[in-house]
Amino acid sequence: MNKPSMNPLSANALCFGSDLPAAGVPCHVDISSVGLSIQFSDLPRETVPFTALAVEAGGFDHDQLVVKWASNGVGRTVYLKEPALIVSFRQFVPPELMADLERTAVSVRRARQRRRTFLLVAVGSVLALVLALWLGFDALVRMAVARIPVEWEQAIGESARRELLAGQTVVTEGPAVAAVQEITKRLTDQIEENPYRFKVTVVQSDIVNAFALPGGYVVVFTGLLKKAESPEEVAGVLGHELNHVLLRHGLERIVKTLGLVAVVAIFVGDQSGLIGLAKRLGIELVTLKFGREQETEADLSGLHLLHRAKISSDGMIRFFERLSESDKLQVEMLSTHPMSAARAERLKAEAASLPGQTPEPFGFDWIKVQESLGHWEAGTL
Amino acid sequence: MKSEILYPGAFPMVRVDLASGECVKAESGAMVAAAPTIDVESRIEGGLLGALSRKVLTGEKFFFQTLRATRGAGEVLLAPTVPGDIVILELDGVNEYLVQKDGFLAGAEGVKIESRMQSLSRGLLGGEGFFILRISGRGQLILNSFGAVHKLELKPDQEYVVDNSHLVAWTATTSYNIEKAAAGWIASFTSGEGFVCRFRGPGVVYIQSRNPGGFGAWIRQFIPVSQ
Repeated sequence: MNKPSMNPLSANALCFGSDLPAAGVPCHVDISSVGLSIQFSDLPRETVPFTALAVEAGGFDHDQLVVKWASNGVGRTVYLKEPALIVSFRQFVPPELMADLERTAVSVRRARQRRRTFLLVAVGSVLALVLALWLGFDALVRMAVARIPVEWEQAIGESARRELLAGQTVVTEGPAVAAVQEITKRLTDQIEENPYRFKVTVVQSDIVNAFALPGGYVVVFTGLLKKAESPEEVAGVLGHELNHVLLRHGLERIVKTLGLVAVVAIFVGDQSGLIGLAKRLGIELVTLKFGREQETEADLSGLHLLHRAKISSDGMIRFFERLSESDKLQVEMLSTHPMSAARAERLKAEAASLPGQTPEPFGFDWIKVQESLGHWEAGTL
Repeated sequence: MKSEILYPGAFPMVRVDLASGECVKAESGAMVAAAPTIDVESRIEGGLLGALSRKVLTGEKFFFQTLRATRGAGEVLLAPTVPGDIVILELDGVNEYLVQKDGFLAGAEGVKIESRMQSLSRGLLGGEGFFILRISGRGQLILNSFGAVHKLELKPDQEYVVDNSHLVAWTATTSYNIEKAAAGWIASFTSGEGFVCRFRGPGVVYIQSRNPGGFGAWIRQFIPVSQ
């Protein structure tokens, strides 16, 4: 028997057989009342009566009509996927083959139904998951964070700290370091059941900031010390930062970010993104942004810590007031930090609710501390 | 459009010759070099929604690049990211291929690329995720694999068992079921195979001689943990 070859111009189906290429040979199929006629480009048209045909559903999506017969003793299989062809097949098929065709149609419908149901279930589950995450994610994150041992947290924080301090000038001694240590000690002495050994590092930089990494690593930039009007302002910022550590806010952010990516990665079947993310963790930590709720929580707990340490909360409030003058242009809705003015107001209200006390001064001379850092720059932030 | 595989083996490249006005769609980042007559257009295949669904669902790149011979005929050199074979398939408007998400390298202008959702068992256990690419239309389709590519030819009703992470592409006339590699659950996993795909012909299945996930796991042990 001659082997048929392709006729790509008019091909509307693929023909298979043990003597044909495995990928199938394109062919042109017509259905008439006589039966199925099939034509390859270089062979005469062959018509197979319906009585010689057997039908079933097939293909990857179970959506193609598979027609089988024997031609000169060789099995032939044709895959029809064009809807028009399938419709005309149904139209001309004799009653004796109708039962088979109906069975095939039922199985195709069932497969489509299954796919549709699966799609609905999948979309529904994703929506339900999103909703569940939306509503219960914070609680889940807290539960997960509570199970992370302090040693792990320290390892993460230590690696992030090393990454951050690479290339920076660390101030290791002098009045500024002594002052920051004294402020930190006053505050940390008042923390009950403190699982952390806080390590404060002073970094030579004009950045007016301080931040806390998981595990108790606090970094203070000399810019903050230069611009602070009083040690109480620095104590306010430190009180706030220490509470980010104590409340494990950094870990919460990491777990949150990783958790979401993990869910997506598992669904999409691509875990490589997750590994990449875990690797970038150290760098991510440095640029970590806390949520607004976390900032407010750290503000209030920081204020309470100042009160317990007998440090005037006026400095902390004053710091935010001065900060608010510099961020008048920001739009509150777009910022994760609550606006400084609102923070100052909230702190004032909270401070008023605390029992009155006489603050105890620090043992160092603030002006000398600032002089040790270079020229006097206190004032606007 | 005419294509030729250069340096077949581990580090091949494809040379695509374009007639004036012709174009080739390629995975973004696949272009190595091109004649000065070729313009690179970044196009969102299948519209923004189609591209978004492909990006989100299959993890494929959001944009394909279209390399068009706007200023006269010219050639383009394309290469995949991973080391491994390249295969060139001819789509005639009747045949269709299902391609796992990293397998697509380039295609002629008439080649149509869609995301396709798989069934629950195939999506969860098949190893390609829930979404794969369904590629149809007319013209050349260029696929890449990790390692050497091997073609399995299945006659009608012939079956073949393939480890799911070695799949590259298969024709839409084949179907497959996911099953355990061994009779028992424990044996399936201790054998290192886990789940396998039982393909049933007729059709063609392209498999790759290396498992990207397995290679990743192996190489991970040599990557120093950051200090």
